[in-house]
Amino acid sequence: MLKVSGLTRRFGDMVAVDDVSFPVPSGGLTGFVGGNGAGKTTTMRMIMGVLAAHAGTVSWQGHEVTREDRRRFGYMPEERGLYPKQPILDQLVYLARLRGMTTADARREIGTLLERFGLGGRTKDPLEKLSLGNQQRVQIIAALVPAPMALILDEPFSGLDPDAIEAMADLLREHARDGVPVVFSSHQLDLVDRLCDRLVVMARGRVVIQGTGEELRAEAALRYRLVLDGDAGWVRDLPGLHVRDVSGPEAEIEVVSEGAEQKLLSEAVTRGGVLDFHRVVPRLSEIYREVTA
Amino acid sequence: MTTPKARTQPKGQPVWQIVARREIAVRATDRSTLIGTAVMLAVIVGVLGFTAWSESREKTYDLAYSSAIARAMAEGIAERATDIDEKVSIEPVAVDDADAARRALEEEQADAYLHSSAKGWTLVTLEDPDSELRDVVSQAVEAIVLAGNADAAGTTAAELTKGSEVAIDQLEGDSELTAIRYVVGYALAIVFYFASIMFGMTLANSVVEEKQSRIVEMIAAAVPLRQLLAGKIIGNAVIAVGQMLIYVAVGLVGLSLTDFSFALPALSSAIGWFVVFFLIGFVVLSTLWAVAGALASRTEDLQSSSTPITMLLMVMFFGALYLDGVGEVVGSYVPPLSAVLMPMRLVDGSAAWWEPIIAVLLLLAFGIALVRLAERLYSRALLQTGGQLSLKAAWRLEE
Repeated sequence: MLKVSGLTRRFGDMVAVDDVSFPVPSGGLTGFVGGNGAGKTTTMRMIMGVLAAHAGTVSWQGHEVTREDRRRFGYMPEERGLYPKQPILDQLVYLARLRGMTTADARREIGTLLERFGLGGRTKDPLEKLSLGNQQRVQIIAALVPAPMALILDEPFSGLDPDAIEAMADLLREHARDGVPVVFSSHQLDLVDRLCDRLVVMARGRVVIQGTGEELRAEAALRYRLVLDGDAGWVRDLPGLHVRDVSGPEAEIEVVSEGAEQKLLSEAVTRGGVLDFHRVVPRLSEIYREVTA
Repeated sequence: MTTPKARTQPKGQPVWQIVARREIAVRATDRSTLIGTAVMLAVIVGVLGFTAWSESREKTYDLAYSSAIARAMAEGIAERATDIDEKVSIEPVAVDDADAARRALEEEQADAYLHSSAKGWTLVTLEDPDSELRDVVSQAVEAIVLAGNADAAGTTAAELTKGSEVAIDQLEGDSELTAIRYVVGYALAIVFYFASIMFGMTLANSVVEEKQSRIVEMIAAAVPLRQLLAGKIIGNAVIAVGQMLIYVAVGLVGLSLTDFSFALPALSSAIGWFVVFFLIGFVVLSTLWAVAGALASRTEDLQSSSTPITMLLMVMFFGALYLDGVGEVVGSYVPPLSAVLMPMRLVDGSAAWWEPIIAVLLLLAFGIALVRLAERLYSRALLQTGGQLSLKAAWRLEE
C-alpha cells in the first residue's frame, strides 16, 4: 500500500498542497479528482520525489518511500514526452534500464506490450514518425515498464482516443488485479466513477472528500424526489427539509433533520395523490460540484 | 493483499553509465555528426597533403635578361641556384629590351627580369617576388659580384669574407622548432576553442531536448539528476575525445610525412599535457553548457542562455592569443584560462616541469567547485518548463 500523509508544498506565499493525506490501497484503482490548480499534479510530483515536500511523508509498505522504491514505480507525468528522433524500442529499453531492468528483460516485456498495442511492426520507427494516438500508446508503455510496483499516473486518459482509453483502462485494471496500487488523476468524472474503487477529491490544495463511491454517496445528504398530482409549492413550508428545486407538481428535497421525509410523505398523501416518491442517488459529478463549490 | 508479480531487480549498471551509453550510441549514429567528422578529416588530410606537396615541389623560375652582361649574370645565378636552394632552379630567358621584358612579365612568359643599374642589379617582378626566388637571386648576385670584385682587387672572395661567419649556437632547440612550437600552440588553442563550442552546443542541445520533449520528468522520477548530468557529460566527453583522437592521429601521421616531422619528439610531452588539460577543461566547461541547456525551455532559448559561456570561451581564446610575458605566466595558472594557456606555454617550452602540475591542481579544484554549483543549477532548472530562466532565478529555485 502506498500512503500519503500530511503532504504540504508552498510556492512562495501560495500553499499549493495543504496537509494532504490519503491511502492508495493495493489491488484497487484510486481516482484523483479536482479542478485545474487543485494541487493534484503537485501532489503526484511529491509522491514521485520529483518535487520536495515541505511537510508530510509518503510511505510504501509501511516504511518511508526510498529512491529505489520510486525507481520501480510507474509514473506518467502530466507534462510528458519522449525522444522524438529515437526509435521507440530503443528509448523504451533505455527508460526501463534507467529503472533497473536488464536489457534482455526490458526488450522482452516491451516487445509484448508493443504487440498488444498493435505497434509490434514499428519498433524501429522514430517516435515522431508515429501518429499522435500511437505516440500516446508508446507513452503508456513507458510508464508501465518495467512491471511496476505502483502506478502514479497524472491524467493518463487525456488525449487518448476511445480505443486507447479502453486499452488503458484494461491495463490499469489488470495491474490492480495483480496487487499493484494504482492512483490516477482525471477530469473525466464519469470514467473515474466507472473505473475506480476509491476517490480522492481535491480543491484549493486540500482533500475535500475521499472514500469509495458508496461512502461518498452515503456521506452526501439524503435526497428525495416527489411528484404530486397538484402544485408542490407547499413543501417549502415544511420544517426539517431543504428544498433544492420546485417546479409545478415536482419537487426535490434534501433531508436536514432525520424523519422529516416521512412527515413530508404523509402530508402529501393527505393533500392528494402522490405519483412518485423516491430516493435520489447523486451522481459523482453532482457530489463533486457540491464539495468543490 | 496480493503480492505483486515476482520481479527480478538486477544489480545493474550505474545509472550514469546507462545514460552515457545512450548519449554515445545516439551521437555515434547521428548523420550530422558523421558528416561533420568526415568533413573535418578531409580538411586535415587536405591541408597536410597540400603542405607536403608544396614543400616537395621543385620550382623553376624564368629569369629574363636583355643584355650580354645580364645574360652572364643570369647564367651565373642559374648555375648556383640549386646550391642555394635545392628546390629552386633558374631558367635564363632572352628578351629584346626592357619593354619586351615588361610584356613578358605581364603575359607571364617570365617570372622576373634582371637588369643592371647604377648601384648594382635590379630584379623586376609583376607582384611580390616569391621568397625563394628573391633569396636565390640576391645571394647568387652577391656571391658573383663579390667574387668579381675580389678578383679585381687581386684577392679571392673567401679571403675577403674570412672570419665573418656568425655561427648560430642555440642552447635550446632551434629556430625552426621555435616557429613550429608557436604554430602548434595556437593550433591547440583553436582546437580547444572549437571543440568546446561544438561539443558544448551539442550537449546543451541534448539537455534542452529532454526538457522540451518533457521526457526529463520521467527520468528525474527514476534516477538522481546528478547521475543524469554525469552520464551526459561523460558520454559527450567520450565522443569528443574519441573524435579528437582520430583528428590528432590523422594529423600526426600526416605531419610525420611532411618536413616538420623532426618537431614531433620535442612536442610529444607538451601534447600529452594538452590532452590532460583538454579533458579537465572540457568537462568543467561541459557542466556550464549543461546548465545553459537546463536554463532554456526550448532550443530557441539556447542562444541567449548560452551567452555567458560563449563569452567565457571568447575571453579564454583571446587571452590565449594575446597574453604574453607576465600576463601569460599568470594566466597559465588562472582557471579556466589555464586549460589553454598552460599547454601553450608547455608547447613553446617556457614552462618548468612543475608548473603544469600546479596548474592542473588549481584547475581541478576550480572544476570541482564549479561542477557542484552547476549541478545545483542544472537540477533545479531542469524541471522548470515555463520559459527561459535567469541564472539568479534558477539559483533561488527550490527542489
